[in-house]
Amino acid sequence: MDPFLLEAIVNGILLGGVFALPVLGLNLVFGVVDVVWLCYAELVMVGMYCVWFLHTQAGWPLILAFAACLPVVAMLGLLLHLLVVKPLLGSPPITQVLATGGVLFILQGGAMLTFGTDFRSLGVEMPPMEVGEIFVSGTKLVAFVAALVSAAGLWAFLKFTYVGTAIRAIARDREVMPLMGVDPQRIYLVASAVGGGLAGLAACLLVVQLDVHPFIGLSFGPITFMICVMGGLGNMLGGFLAAFLMGVIISTGGFWWNTEMSYVVAFVFFIVVMFARPRGLFAR
Amino acid sequence: MLMNRRTVMAGAAALAAGRASAQGSGAPIRIGLLHDLSGPFAGAGSVPLFQGAEIAIELFNERGGVDGRMVQAVSADSQSRAEVAINEAERLIGQERVDVVIGVYSSAHAVPLAQRMQAAGKILWINSAIATAVLKGKNFTTIFRPTVHSDQYGEGSVMFLSEHCERTTRIAPRNFKLGIIYEDGPYGVGVATALEANANRVGMPIALKEGYSATAPDLSTLVTKLRRERPDAILQVGYNPDITLFLRQAKSGGLRTRMVIGHGAGYSQIDRLTETFGREIDHFCNVDPAATQMLSPERLTPQARELQQILLDRFRARTRSNDPPTHASMGFNNTWVFLEHVLKPAVRQGGGSVEAMRTAALAVDIPVGGTIQGYGVKFRPPGDEMAGQNERSIAVVMQFEDAKSIVRWPTPIAAGPPVMPLPASSPFALR
Repeated sequence: MDPFLLEAIVNGILLGGVFALPVLGLNLVFGVVDVVWLCYAELVMVGMYCVWFLHTQAGWPLILAFAACLPVVAMLGLLLHLLVVKPLLGSPPITQVLATGGVLFILQGGAMLTFGTDFRSLGVEMPPMEVGEIFVSGTKLVAFVAALVSAAGLWAFLKFTYVGTAIRAIARDREVMPLMGVDPQRIYLVASAVGGGLAGLAACLLVVQLDVHPFIGLSFGPITFMICVMGGLGNMLGGFLAAFLMGVIISTGGFWWNTEMSYVVAFVFFIVVMFARPRGLFAR
Repeated sequence: MLMNRRTVMAGAAALAAGRASAQGSGAPIRIGLLHDLSGPFAGAGSVPLFQGAEIAIELFNERGGVDGRMVQAVSADSQSRAEVAINEAERLIGQERVDVVIGVYSSAHAVPLAQRMQAAGKILWINSAIATAVLKGKNFTTIFRPTVHSDQYGEGSVMFLSEHCERTTRIAPRNFKLGIIYEDGPYGVGVATALEANANRVGMPIALKEGYSATAPDLSTLVTKLRRERPDAILQVGYNPDITLFLRQAKSGGLRTRMVIGHGAGYSQIDRLTETFGREIDHFCNVDPAATQMLSPERLTPQARELQQILLDRFRARTRSNDPPTHASMGFNNTWVFLEHVLKPAVRQGGGSVEAMRTAALAVDIPVGGTIQGYGVKFRPPGDEMAGQNERSIAVVMQFEDAKSIVRWPTPIAAGPPVMPLPASSPFALR
């Protein structure tokens, strides 16, 4: 096999790892609360700024900055639910989407006023791994493993804990579960905090790979939504698998054709999937 | 450079609100300033472009404006989005009633803006957007661009390489392979097309030519393909997030080459690149009009020399910049040319009408060395294929050394031969 093609496939899988965490977080929130957080990529951006600030400006060790980022963004997720989503739970979906879209602009503007328009770099790098003729970015590999471990942890949380079971139950049928004694408002809060925490985790993995600036969400936000829809909105396993599928399509498409065409190929694939399986590639 | 939007807007407000009524006699002369003060372009050069223009207006007013009439700038933020740029230009000419709009960072904005401003019969004075396609074959009569255009970038880097590659790398130009990668907007496409045309002209082979979206979250496949093709020099045309993303992934992806050349925009933000990569970018080259501090004052006229020092002092005082970016020089220089050589005679002789400004612009005749960026100014006349383009603009090839840029081409004004190939200390150098 052409080693460069193999490298492109490996890069695609690692890219899927980058997409996977925000996809999981978005799907969790949508599956449980039934509201799309249009500002999800901006929560990730806030988390990236949080890590950058604590590490490079406040002088915190990186690991502590990561540890602080998670609760900060989880708290932001909670606040988003309490202040924006909860009052609109009975409203038409378009109202909810527009409201979270408004938060997107508030977060972008807030970041711009606070940190300016400059690109901020963490300045952290890991040496690449060289296997034969293939180079694999150490930073990406670590991020990929962290994404897998986090996804496994989320799966275990949802599968083996009482709250996790309640979350899955609410996601399955939010009308009936309250009759069984489950408090949906409490579950919504937990799901929003976990969704926010996943955005924080994604921020930790992205900030070592990308410069942070107020508009960084534009780079990966739209494709994250596309992957969620392709995997089936609310379907976490579907979204997780779709992230890797999309990563490989983009990477190999870029290898065979060119980088611009790779996204065209990805979007064409998405449209075909939507025609063939409107509820998502992995919808049951 | 610690610069945020609040500071920028405060400066704009002070400029707009201001000094006119305090100092001037007669109604202020209103001009529009259109820059990306937010969005990705803000951090890729548009903010220093604005700051340079701001300093030029400030200085012009301090010196009495036009016979006591002050210039009042009305600033607008195009937010790095073409549709916002058009809406803001409409607002400037429709509601604010300005006859001239100065600035415009991005060629993607300049292309539709030029059409709109020409149709409205207003002056568009382009300080930065360099794509040849903005003017070529358009027959505009009210659009002027004192800065360089993308064909000159293509000529600069290819001629630089063809002059130096054999002596420094023992590879003849006909065997010296180029990898051309570019953001896929008018700016990137324009420069990449010029690079290809010049490479073909001198017989340099192109190993890979590929575009990408400036907002792409991943460029590792491009790195893989470049590694496969093994170009001797990588020529990148990009803004800023894409440049840092590419260089980071190139480094971790094991991409090695003999030379990396950027083409303005993000590569001209040397302070930003140094903050991210430290001395790893040492000996990279960049093509752009010269930032004024790169030019020896002796090569400039006394008036230009004085302006050079004023810009450097004021810009450094505002931003604490180590090496003021080229865009600061472009913003100041090209705005100053408009104020001093177009607006002033137009107001004196024609009341400041659009037609008077157009006539004054076409009469500008500044010799080489007469501006702080070293070039002269003479606009191509109506009917010319590049009507409105400054035919005396010059792009130089500069090389980064210890967070400074040093001119390496054209050879007659170079401060010595380039360091080429990249030395072994560079993580991007061939092993």
